[in-house]
Amino acid sequence: MAGTDTATTGRGTLTGQPERSGAGTGGRPDGQGRIARLAPTAILLLGAFYCLLPVAWVLVAASKDASTLFTSSTFAPGDALVDNVAGLSAYRDGLFWRWMLNTLLYAGVGAALSAAVSGLSGYTLAKFAFPGRSVVFNVLLAGVLVPGITLAVPQYLLLAKVGLTDTYWSVLLPSIVSPYGIYLARIYAAAAVPDSVVEAARVDGASEFGIFRRVALPMMVPGLITVFLLQFVAIWNNFLLPFIMLADDERFPVTLGLYTLLNQGNTQPALYRFVIAGSLLSIVPLVALFLSLQRYWRIDLLSGATKS
Amino acid sequence: MTRTLGAKILAVALGVSLVAACTSTSNDDPEEPTGPVELTFWSWAPNIEKLVDRWNTDNPETKVTLSKQAGGADIVTKLLTAAKAGNPPDLAQVEYQALPTLVSNDVLADIAEQAKPLKEKFSDGTWRQVTLGTDAVYAVPQDAAPMMLYYRADLFTQYGLTVPGTWEEFAQTARTLRGKTKKHFLTTFSANDPGWFAGLAQQAGANWWGIDGEFWKVTVNDAGTRKVADYWGGLVGEGVVDGKPMYTPEWNKALNDGSLLAWPSAVWAPGVLVGNAPATKGKWAMAPLPQWTAGENRTGNWGGSSTGVTAASKHKAAAVRFATWLNTDAAATTMLVRECAVYPAARDAQSGPALASPPDFFANQADFYPLAKQIADTAAGVTWGPNVNVTYETYQDAFGKAITGRTPFGAAVDAMQTATVDDMRKNGFTIAG
Amino acid sequence: MPTATPGVRRRGRRTGIPYVFLAPAVILFLAFFLAPIGYAGYLSLRKVRISGLGLGRGSRTEVFAGLENYRNAVTDSELWSGALRVLGYGALLVPTMLGLALLFALLLDRPRAQLARFSRTAIFLPYAVPAVIASLLWGFLYLPATSPLNDLLVRFGLPEPDLLGTDAVFYAVVNIALWGGVGFNMIVLYTALRAIPPELYESARLDGCSEIQVALRIKIPLLAPALVMTTLFTMIATLQVFSEPMTLAPMTNSISSTWTPLMKIYRDAFATDDRYAAAATSVLVAAITLVLSLGFLRLVQKRAFGQEH
Repeated sequence: MAGTDTATTGRGTLTGQPERSGAGTGGRPDGQGRIARLAPTAILLLGAFYCLLPVAWVLVAASKDASTLFTSSTFAPGDALVDNVAGLSAYRDGLFWRWMLNTLLYAGVGAALSAAVSGLSGYTLAKFAFPGRSVVFNVLLAGVLVPGITLAVPQYLLLAKVGLTDTYWSVLLPSIVSPYGIYLARIYAAAAVPDSVVEAARVDGASEFGIFRRVALPMMVPGLITVFLLQFVAIWNNFLLPFIMLADDERFPVTLGLYTLLNQGNTQPALYRFVIAGSLLSIVPLVALFLSLQRYWRIDLLSGATKS
Repeated sequence: MTRTLGAKILAVALGVSLVAACTSTSNDDPEEPTGPVELTFWSWAPNIEKLVDRWNTDNPETKVTLSKQAGGADIVTKLLTAAKAGNPPDLAQVEYQALPTLVSNDVLADIAEQAKPLKEKFSDGTWRQVTLGTDAVYAVPQDAAPMMLYYRADLFTQYGLTVPGTWEEFAQTARTLRGKTKKHFLTTFSANDPGWFAGLAQQAGANWWGIDGEFWKVTVNDAGTRKVADYWGGLVGEGVVDGKPMYTPEWNKALNDGSLLAWPSAVWAPGVLVGNAPATKGKWAMAPLPQWTAGENRTGNWGGSSTGVTAASKHKAAAVRFATWLNTDAAATTMLVRECAVYPAARDAQSGPALASPPDFFANQADFYPLAKQIADTAAGVTWGPNVNVTYETYQDAFGKAITGRTPFGAAVDAMQTATVDDMRKNGFTIAG
Repeated sequence: MPTATPGVRRRGRRTGIPYVFLAPAVILFLAFFLAPIGYAGYLSLRKVRISGLGLGRGSRTEVFAGLENYRNAVTDSELWSGALRVLGYGALLVPTMLGLALLFALLLDRPRAQLARFSRTAIFLPYAVPAVIASLLWGFLYLPATSPLNDLLVRFGLPEPDLLGTDAVFYAVVNIALWGGVGFNMIVLYTALRAIPPELYESARLDGCSEIQVALRIKIPLLAPALVMTTLFTMIATLQVFSEPMTLAPMTNSISSTWTPLMKIYRDAFATDDRYAAAATSVLVAAITLVLSLGFLRLVQKRAFGQEH
């Protein structure tokens, strides 16, 4: 993210102006000027505090054992973090890690396929004029309006007819089409791929798919990474689809797995300790992914501008 | 799966299967094939895989494949959907109260032919739950869940309380405790646990459904249920019993720090306590549930489950063999107790070697299991109805509202009756009266 | 819908190409959106018919129900009170979320913003937490017995609020959604801000406008189209609120099984096994969402986009 940050500062210094927090009114007392200067940072830090608090709580709670989790003061850390993670890892021969791998598979493969399909569709919708274009686009986009719950049961029944329920495919396939992703990809393609370049490639006699793959795709990469990330999170967070589709917990993603640890029915204790440790561990890969790909986070809903 | 994936997606896309999906499949019982069979089994019992492994080792010609499930409520949802789609497992663990729902949806097979002789292995109350009071048998009972009272012996001593033998004494104990301290409640009334309330109502003689010839009888607001509701409504209204739900982090904390002194629960409670409040080990004791009339000996069931065979199974005979072994074989029930923490429904197993010593958590109560067996024999049997799920959902909403709105509990019981009857009528069930 | 610039016009030999390129998306869309929707529509016109005790084989048949399921849905007062609750929820959540996201985005876009990178990452972080897990976390923080807030209040001898009480629980759910969504919208708006050419406000700065004035008079008007889109998408997500109240429900008496329309759909489809009623309610919810979204777009298109062009 360093690039954008320097750009921000750079923009300020380019003007050659001193900071103008008090400008316009002039002659403010120093104290007020300092407040005006510090207030924005304070507000941002307040927001950061609000957002980090529950995350901090997971970290603390994950360090407590089964008794102190409920009896000790909320933010007093315990010393059982290693025990909890070890206990969770040992639960049914490391089932938790299998759930993590499953999630990675669902979200990773699903998002990659989604980005590919969105990219191709977005490019087509942006760069070709053909009868029915706006109909296709609007119908695809209307998919955003349909609640996942509405879709899940009929999806299950239809997949059952072809014998695909309770397989990895049953979670992967419905996750590939993302109306939101196609919408974004279209905007990115329109903004990032100049018509002249496409035209020049055609004049050179390149095949249409060749043009997409070798000319347009590289230009759309930053945008498609955003689509990938969005869909990755969407699949990672989707609970209902795998809940309906999967019967065997060896194929569960981690959200569903943790849910089953919590809701084992009246006769089993809820494994809060494991669920909390698991929640913490399940957030880590997502955070790492975000941090490492942060400079691609450009969710521009309108212009598709990808400044660098 | 012979068709390629692409063809399958295309098939779905073209809606070819849309048509197919609309017509439900109902295959007639095929001939039992000879030779090795493969059975699929859905269950949520912890460590049940160890029993399945054992079976597979001893019975290589009947291989059982286990799918672990989340829990009793989720499994019903999935069974209904899977049966609708035509691909349910051969066997499933099912809570007693869900049996009629599954039977009425054609999910479970009537296994009376093979399973009828098993009757004598179970108490009458238990057996009635798998027959629905008819000549059919829809499952083999797995665990019994007679209710009893768990209390913190240390805190009872500290506050000078005695173990209540009747509900009247229980109410008095709750008042006495509140008179001495505002930090504790004797117990809580949970609007989130309909099975718990159903068990308490059974003790008072409630029988929510019944089959009378070709008619269903529905009496969710019968005198017994009403008595129980009014009793608890009075205590919650008086402020001597808490009104917070069970199975929340808050309730867990209350178990740990002694905010709640007693828990009317079932025989499986030690397993929950050891998981949720391990530090209170040795501080609890178990007694029979308080009685409505002094000198009586009655209880109800909270939960409990059975093993059902699905109507769509192609190997019903083999499936019943496995279900019978799982729930009645001496070695199997011993494993059920030791590995899965299941209190077996089979009466022989209740006094079996695995239950000779008390659970670790109750190490100082040597007679825990003999007492439990005595209590189990007094559990009232009931007939469950085909829409217990509707009744249970209404329980949660109506009692939740009654507690937050401080309105009488009797109205909530009436709401359960109305919702249950309305739903049955809407679907066309024949109801008496 | 605002769409991108018109593409290159092609005629002749290549006309089949766009259809081939769109085939994967369209086929998957047909299979996993349209077919299920069509099936839901079909189910909404059906109902189950049971004869006698309903225990024997074949005593349960599916029959045509006409509009009965729809009639039951629109006359269900629980559904309407749930719908009203969700509208109130949206009326509170959408402006709060967008307002805060806009505030944060503008603050991040200030020249020489301090700790910007840290704040941005921190505020965005909750987006990575699945709603089911987020609600569990907040549940712990809300419940009087485990809440640090109550812990603090007790120490000062103050009365303890029940954050999951009948009235408070509404705000408790709003807070979880706000927590999870504000960072995402902030990033969207921030990206849009970064795309504004600096020249547009350099001169205003030279004229002595304060940063607040630059934000109000130049940045926010230019952000209008992005604000419209974020509002629209937030609105749609809001109408589909489900995971948060669903996860909190077992912790409190205050959330009924029909607290929001989607919870009712879930209850009908999965708890009480009335997939026909669930299908009818789903169709209604999708239709209402469509009408509200289109209405909103109409309303703002006249203003925001009318100004633009």
